[in-house]
Amino acid sequence: MANVSFEHVRKDFGTATVVQDFDLEVADGELVVLVGGSGCGKSTILRMLAGLESVTSGTVRIGEREVTQLPPRERDVAMVFQDYALYPHLTARGNISLGLRLRKVPKSEIDRRVRWAAEILELQPFLDRKPKQMSGGQRQRIAMGRAMVREPAVFLFDEPLSNLDAHLRGQMRHEIARMQRRVGTTALYVTHDQMEAMTLGDRLVVLDSGRIRQVGRPIDVYEAPANKFVAGFIGTPPMNFLDGRLEGVRDNLEFVSDVLRIPFAAERRPDPATGSGEAVTLGVRPEDLALADAPGPATLRGRLVLAEVLGATTHLHVEVEGQRLVAAVPSGPPPAPDATVNLSVDPRRLHLFAADGSSLLRDSHDA
Amino acid sequence: MRRAVFYIVLALAAVAFLYPFLWMAATTFKSPAEVGGLSLLPDQLTFDNYRLMWARAPFGRALFNSLLVATTITLSVLVFGSAAAYALARLSFPGRRILNTVTVAILLVPAQLTLIPMYTLIVQLGWVDSYAALIAPFAFNATAILILRQFFLQVPRSLMDAARLDGMGELRILFTVFWPLAKAPLAMVGILTFMGAWNEVLWPLLVVRDEQLMTLPQLLTVFSLGGGAGPRALATKLAAAMVLVVPVVVAFTFLQRFFIESLASTGIKG
Repeated sequence: MANVSFEHVRKDFGTATVVQDFDLEVADGELVVLVGGSGCGKSTILRMLAGLESVTSGTVRIGEREVTQLPPRERDVAMVFQDYALYPHLTARGNISLGLRLRKVPKSEIDRRVRWAAEILELQPFLDRKPKQMSGGQRQRIAMGRAMVREPAVFLFDEPLSNLDAHLRGQMRHEIARMQRRVGTTALYVTHDQMEAMTLGDRLVVLDSGRIRQVGRPIDVYEAPANKFVAGFIGTPPMNFLDGRLEGVRDNLEFVSDVLRIPFAAERRPDPATGSGEAVTLGVRPEDLALADAPGPATLRGRLVLAEVLGATTHLHVEVEGQRLVAAVPSGPPPAPDATVNLSVDPRRLHLFAADGSSLLRDSHDA
Repeated sequence: MRRAVFYIVLALAAVAFLYPFLWMAATTFKSPAEVGGLSLLPDQLTFDNYRLMWARAPFGRALFNSLLVATTITLSVLVFGSAAAYALARLSFPGRRILNTVTVAILLVPAQLTLIPMYTLIVQLGWVDSYAALIAPFAFNATAILILRQFFLQVPRSLMDAARLDGMGELRILFTVFWPLAKAPLAMVGILTFMGAWNEVLWPLLVVRDEQLMTLPQLLTVFSLGGGAGPRALATKLAAAMVLVVPVVVAFTFLQRFFIESLASTGIKG
């Protein structure tokens, strides 16, 4: 086991820069999730750590060792791939043990480790089957077993659950978390799935266009996004945004737009440096909007366009002065289509962003 | 009814293809008196034609030479061809695109065009009347490289990544990961190469004069030209032709599943 550090890492493909000035410290035994949209550079970062992609500039360390120029086999990392990457001509046992055999680990030790991994991953009945004779979930468990038996310094997971159906994904997510906690190995996990990001990681790293936009505990990133990108990226359905301006005096500022005027609660005031008249964007999470019986001082009034009943929650798509907002409300009889609805906004749950996208609230942490 | 007609047409086509071969095979077991007949069953089974063929020319040695030359060429083409294909398909290095183009361009050059330069080269190297002259010019093959490259391009990148993380170098990845996956194209390349090398006549005629180094088709050609005339001579020549044909037929019978699979997957016509 070891800590991992990236120092000013940059990656160019030709003239395109896909990762820039990437700095990150991953503590020994920590599971860090890299999350971001397609093309944000998250897989490239993982591949640079594995040695599968060269580093244009910067330094990568595993433990005390600088590994920037080392080939993959000398880095002591193991990786689980999205498409499992199992050798089709080998059995599950062959796949799991190949890395050890190539490293000339004694046979008795190989057998012990394969048994150990098979037990943890409940793979014993399938060890002599070939990948094509197994389901997606079983194949993914073999890929994990292959990584585990190596007893590497670092585990790397590159969207390992993307090819599984929703039910299996949930199950495997649980297994990965359980396995990582049990073996205690440092791990980096790449995903675009928010559920995985929120539930698996000790910390989240939110990436956009090759840059870190925020690093923090999942709940902190959710509760206090450092910028508008993170606020819009983390959370399903995404945060609602309203453009407007600030009015009032210091410690008594209000957000004002064509559709809403709302004061800020004492515990979530804008940064004191923010002045009246400044153009800002208000962020409200769908779950922080509630159906109100009548218009009030902090309510939005609009037309119900669509009601998606998900079971316990219903997503109401409401058009307010030409802008579509989503409210996640407890399920009940939904208002009729095209009905006028009132949505109350909780002033204690507001987010505020400057024109450059940075958060203006005091308790948020910029990256 | 339409189905019956379909099968009758297919059966007739099969007979049209098979009959000459079966006639040749049957004739080698016939006495001189029967050689001219169209029957596929000899009245009197005889092995005299094979005995005579074996006695009149060193066909045993030629069979060995052909096996040695064709097998060595096939192995070389598979090993070097797959290594080149792997590099062209999966490794990044300066000039890769040009090399790919050159490989395709080689296919456009007729073999006859390179015959004289190649012969001059062999003479310069002092390789006339040697196995090297028979093997070296065919040990690399652009068609094989292209067929294998096309297949290697389809192997997922993650499989190579996994192999690298497992501790494999490029050669080990080629031979322990790509080769098992590429059984069908390798078999196809192997069969095509072996058949080409096995049947090659022109080149051995140019570079080998020593009877002890002659390959089977070469010796057969020499034997046919100087083997006399008449039914007995014809049957003896056909016996020699059978020795030439049988190994290829046997090899194809065993490997045809891979061959057909690969033709289907690569879209290459035979």
